[in-house]
Formats: sequence, structure tokens, C-alpha cells
Amino acid sequence: MDRTLTSFIAALRNADVRISTAETLDAMSAVELCGYRNREFLKDTLALVLPKTPDEKYTFDETFDQFFAFEDVKGESVVTVSDGDGEEAEGEGGAGQGQGGAEGEGTEGRKGGGKKKKFSAFEEQQDEEDLGPGEMAQPRSTLGKLLMQDSRVELTVNMAAAAKEVSLEEIQVFTQKGLYTRKIMEEMGLADLQQEISVVRQSPSIPDRRLGQELKKRREWLREQVRDYVEKQFLLHADATGKKLREELLRKVKLSNVEHRNFRLVQEVVFRMAKRLVALHSRRKKVFKRGQLHVSRTLRHNMSYDGSIFDLHWKSVKIDRPKVFAICDVSGSVANYARFMLMFLYSLEEVMPKVRSFAFSSDLAEVTDLFERNKLEDAIAKTLRDYSGGSTDYGQAFEDFRNKCLDEIDNRTTIIILGDARNNYGDPRTEILKEMYDRSKRLIWLNPESRNTWNVGDAEMRKYSAYVHQAEECNSLTHLERIVGNLLRTIQ
Amino acid sequence: MLYIVTVDLDNAAFCAEKSVLRVVVVGGTVTDIDKLAGSVSNLQAGFESHRYICSSQIATAVYLAYQLRKPVLVEGPAGVGKTELAKTTAEMFELPLIRLQCYEGLDEAKAIYEWKYGKQLLYTQVLKETLDEVLQGAKGFTESVNRLHEFGDIFFSEEFMEPRPLLKALNEENGCVLLIDEVDKSDHEFESLLLEILSEYQVSIPEIGTVKAKAEPPIVFLTSNNTREISDALKRRCLHLYIPFPDSDLEQRIIHARVPEIPPELRRQLVTFIQELRDLDLKKLPAISETIDWARTLLLLHTESLDANLVRDTLNVILKFQEDIDNVDAEITTLTNKAIKN
Repeated sequence: MDRTLTSFIAALRNADVRISTAETLDAMSAVELCGYRNREFLKDTLALVLPKTPDEKYTFDETFDQFFAFEDVKGESVVTVSDGDGEEAEGEGGAGQGQGGAEGEGTEGRKGGGKKKKFSAFEEQQDEEDLGPGEMAQPRSTLGKLLMQDSRVELTVNMAAAAKEVSLEEIQVFTQKGLYTRKIMEEMGLADLQQEISVVRQSPSIPDRRLGQELKKRREWLREQVRDYVEKQFLLHADATGKKLREELLRKVKLSNVEHRNFRLVQEVVFRMAKRLVALHSRRKKVFKRGQLHVSRTLRHNMSYDGSIFDLHWKSVKIDRPKVFAICDVSGSVANYARFMLMFLYSLEEVMPKVRSFAFSSDLAEVTDLFERNKLEDAIAKTLRDYSGGSTDYGQAFEDFRNKCLDEIDNRTTIIILGDARNNYGDPRTEILKEMYDRSKRLIWLNPESRNTWNVGDAEMRKYSAYVHQAEECNSLTHLERIVGNLLRTIQ
Repeated sequence: MLYIVTVDLDNAAFCAEKSVLRVVVVGGTVTDIDKLAGSVSNLQAGFESHRYICSSQIATAVYLAYQLRKPVLVEGPAGVGKTELAKTTAEMFELPLIRLQCYEGLDEAKAIYEWKYGKQLLYTQVLKETLDEVLQGAKGFTESVNRLHEFGDIFFSEEFMEPRPLLKALNEENGCVLLIDEVDKSDHEFESLLLEILSEYQVSIPEIGTVKAKAEPPIVFLTSNNTREISDALKRRCLHLYIPFPDSDLEQRIIHARVPEIPPELRRQLVTFIQELRDLDLKKLPAISETIDWARTLLLLHTESLDANLVRDTLNVILKFQEDIDNVDAEITTLTNKAIKN
């Protein structure tokens, strides 16, 4: 049973749920307690032990339902048993008798009901030769017997065993699906079945031919089942290396070239980068030499000096954390970069709680509020939607910025400007930038274009770069990570 | 209840009998908890009898916490009953609840223990006089020091220690429920401080040694509002329970348990309204506690059925931001009609 659990955990890990060895052990002791008997209980239990964030819980739910799908099969057959209609049961009852009277009349009838549902998809194939209901011969091959037994549970068990035999869990790419389906069928005894089908179909006896038809139908059904099973297992086990490779690439690729379908992945990468930076920088703690006297600590430490207060200790007061103003050009060409930059800044909330952000293309507006109220993705989407129209005007944007919040810039403030400095030949208003430069602790300009095009055409980078502390090319996640890393080092 | 019995026995004259009886009584409570925590359905019923309606997931969490001796980290939006869960558990098991409210700057002196520095200082001053007697006849420095050593570290013994919530919880004889509230508000460093107590149910005090939990380790609940990510190390040691907003059915049962006087039709209406409200884009979504407050308000106003004006007047009970109230204002009529019709 432990093996079930470990392979389930492997599947979870594959679905990006982080599970440590200690948690695996916890899960084992929890399962020992609750057992595999009650599916809901098992799910509740494992949901408490394994996934540790709401996101992971969601993934867990899906994976669990897929992985423990066998239980469903059982449940389903129970359902079909209960609603199997009487008429059908009667019709098939004769066939059941032919199968050998070892089993009671009641079970035969019920099986018939179940069968009707399962095979309805293949009903239309029946047109080849109408033999009518009646006696049917006994199947001889193992797989044939299994198929005619009508026990889905046993079939599923057999299928799983065969899958294990051909090591289905090693499946890697989707093109292998067909191969594995075939392998599993063969492992289950397909060859014998084929043989039997072709023999009985040629046979002169009607019950034999009936069997042939029935077996063929059921073979097709089985193939469907196996394909389905392989599909599910592929989703569970398909190796994550492909994903890793893609992530690796995404870090280097130019942000404007990131395709829409990869946004989610990029976001994950960004969060992970941000988390690492947070871990790196949140550990620092300064002991401040002023503020309120920490009476108890002082007294305690001065006990050794006979109680005379000599070595003073202070309540370590955290100076309010540095402020970051992010000004992002969100006009068409730069919008994509702005998206990732904002994503990054707000992922760093823990170490940089005071990010205020502004967006502009022609007019500048503060979007801090949007980010406070909405989820990150929504906020970014809204920002881009609301402010990205209009042609770029850096002069106007700086003017707006000056009117809005120049007063709030002090020597602890870092300003980050993201933009290509393409001003459509308008007035660059460098004097405002100079003012910002003078007042702030640091002014960083991130330009998504590569350095040699900085001054080509309507770009004003040369004029602007006189009034920034640092101008950097920034167009991939790696760049972004490095710059923000430096930023954290200097502002703390 | 248990406490009263013990006090009575303390007054009894027959010491031998007293000790025997106490064992029986203590044994009695322990089996009670065992029985209660023996199955999820028992727990769920137990919670219900204490007016806490919970999903099977929550009951399973408490069940596992008790059976596996693991702390539970409870996350979820504000006001879904995270703290209430710990309180009710304590009530149900008839155990004392020890609560540690976390905040920025919380350190071990406030969470685990603190030396009674005043007392220590006072005693040093007092004992200074008697020092001469102790050292009488001692020749030379070494001998004096040796004599002093014979007294051991009196000043750093339990006599001089002020236990704080975490240590108190470990020292409870019959176990207790320990609630570490809003752990996300504390600093990173404090989280690491918690690791030892969460996994081993012990704390190390340099001057004394390791203090282990008495016979019954506490049942620990940690709550978090997700203002920041809790470290993996902490998460790894806990069961993780996420309490979302309840669905309409569960919420109605909760209201029924908490405000039983409210008529069923109104209850259905107000729950539907709140559920609709949660789909809107609001700064702070109304939680269960707000629904309960609202139900009480409506009851107080002798309301029979919701109507737009009434909702508008009482909206400040469920929405806590003027901005949200303004946003919802336009849609009140539609929402109310929906709630009444359904």
C-alpha cells in the first residue's frame, strides 16, 4: 500500500506540489490511521498533510481524482447495477445461462444491465450480422474470459498490472501513448484474443459467432479503456524535464518575445526569483543604537555589573523601510517589459513593502491602488488596459510626476524608470529629471532596448542618462533579477 | 469541571484516598477526549454541539492533529473562524486555551520565558549581606569561589523564571490547546523559534536545559492571514488546513447555529445576498463573522424579509470600506431581488 502512496506523491511532485521526505512520512502515518477504505476521508487527510498552499490544494484535488480513479470505476459499476433495467436483464439472461450456471440468476441479470451501458457506444457496429439473442459459446483465451466476466474491477486491476509490467510510469512524451497502449494490450493477452476471435468468427456454429461478435465489441471497448488509462498516466507521470528546459529558456529570452501562453510560466519563474531574493535580503537585521530603552534586557545584561546600568540595550526600532517609486512606460512597445517589471517588484513585497508605481504613455497616473486591491495579474492587466493608449510623451509624464509627488521623494527613495526614452521628438524636460535625481537616493533607468540603439532616432537616452545614477539594459528575466538584486543590496 | 473536583479533593483529609481518586478523575477526562477525537463524525457532532459548524475537512484536521500529535496551520481569509476553531476545540475537550498573539517584534522573552530580573536583582542585594557568612573562614580566592559554586545557579532556576505562553502550554499537566494567532504578523526569526516546540514539543532554555511537555503535549493551532508567506520549514511541521468561505448551505447552517432566532426564509435570503456579494470585486469581502453580525442586526430590527432600503441602511455591518459600500450601492436593488427570488 505504501507503494501506492509513494507513486501518488511522485505524481503530485510532477504536478509541481513540493513535498519533502518528512511530509511523505507524515502522509504514511496519516494513511495508517485513516486507511484506504473511505475515499473522501483519505482525500481530506492527504489534503491536510501534503499540499501547503491554496494553489497546491487545487492541484492536489485534481491529481487525487485522477490518480485514485479506480475507486470511481467501482462506484460506477455499483450505480449501473442499481439502475439496470429489467427488460435488458431478461434478454441477456439467456446468454448468462450459457456462460455457465456457477453464478446465481440475480447476478447475471444485473450484469446484463451494466453491460448495456458500457457498450452502448459500440452498438452501431452490430450491423454486420444479426444473430439475435441466444446461446453463446464459452471464450477460451484468458483475456476473452476476463472480458466476458463483466467485472470491471478485475479488468482494471489486470490493466494496472500490465501497465506496471511494461513500466508505463516511464512514459515521457505524448507520442509514446500509442505504443504503450499496444504494449499493455499485448501484455494482457491480446494475441490470444485475436486468435480466438478470428477462429470463432469463421466457425459454423451460431453461438460461436455470437461470441465472436461480442468479443470484438469488447476488445474495442477495452482498447478505449487502455488508451484512456495511458492518457491519464501520461498526465501524471510525464517527466517535468521538458518544463524545466522551457523555464531555462524563458529566463534568457527577450521579454517582449514571450508568448502569451507562456505568461503563467514566466510568472512562476518571476515568483521563484523574487522568493530567492527575499530569502537573501530579509535576513539582515540591524541593531539600532537609539530609540526606546529595552529595560528588561538592559537590566538582565547588567546583572553581572552588580546591577549598575552600564551596558545599554535598545528596543531595536526598524527605521521605516526604503521607498521605491516605479515609473513605467506602458505604451505599446514597452508594455510587455513593464508587465514583468511590475510583477517582479510586487513579488518582492516582503522586503520592499513601499513600492509606489506609476504608469504612463502620455499622461502619468498612479496605479499603486490597483495593485493593493487586485490580484497581481489583474492589476497588471488593468494597468495596461487603462494607460497604454496614446503616444509616448516623457516630458508630460515627468511634469505630471512633479506635480503629483515630487515632494515625497527624499533621500531614502529609489526611483526606477522603465522606458525606451523614445519621446517622439517632444521636449524631454530633463530639468525635471534632474530635480528627481537631486532629491532621490538613487535613480535607475532601465531600458529594454539594447545599448547600441539607445540614441538612435527619437530616443533621448543620451540626455537623460546624465541625470541618472545608473542606466541599464533590461530585457530578460536574468537582467531583471540582477538589477533588482543590486537594488536590494543598495537600498537596505 | 475537572478543576473543581480536584480542589475539593485537596481539601479532603485522607491523603492516600485523595491521590487514588485524582488518578481516576484525570483518567476519566483523558478517555473522554480520546472518545471524542476517536472519529471524524464524533468530532463534527462535538463541534456542532458547541455551535461551531464545520466541514468534514476541518474535523479531519482536528482528528489528525490529535491522533498524530501534529500542529495545525490554519489559513484562510479573515473572519472565517480560524481563531474560533481553536477556541471551540478547547471548549469541547474541556482544556485550557493558551493564546499567543503574534505581532512584529515578538521575541522569545515574550513568547517563551523571561527571567524575573527585578526579583533577581532584589535577591542579589539582599543576599549581599549574607555573603560574608557564607565565605567565612574561606582562605584565598579559589576557595571562596568554590564555596559559592556549591550554591549552584540559584538565580537561574525556575523560581526566577517567568513562563510565557509557549512555556506555560508545555507545563500544563493535562494538556491544553495552544493558539498561536496570526503567525504571519511575526518576524522570520520568530518562526524559527517556533520550530523546536512544534516538532518536539520542547523548548531549550540555555540556563536550565530542555523543558519537555508534560504527559499530554498541547494541541497546537497556528493561524495565518497570508499577509506573508510562511516559511517552508514551519509548514513542513504542520498539517495545513485552508478554510475558504463556506458555500451557501454550510453558511446557512452556521447562521442557524449562531443566530437560531432568525426565521429560515430571511436566513436564506441574507446568505444568498452575502454569497452574491462575494462574487463582486471588493476590497474586503464579507466573511462569516460579518454574516453573523448582519443576521443579528436584522433580528434586532425585526426584519421579515430583505428589501433594498434596509440593505442600504445596514450595509456598513457587512462592508468595512466606504469605497466598497459606494461600489455596491448601485447594485443593491438587483442583488436584493436576486436574493429574495431564489
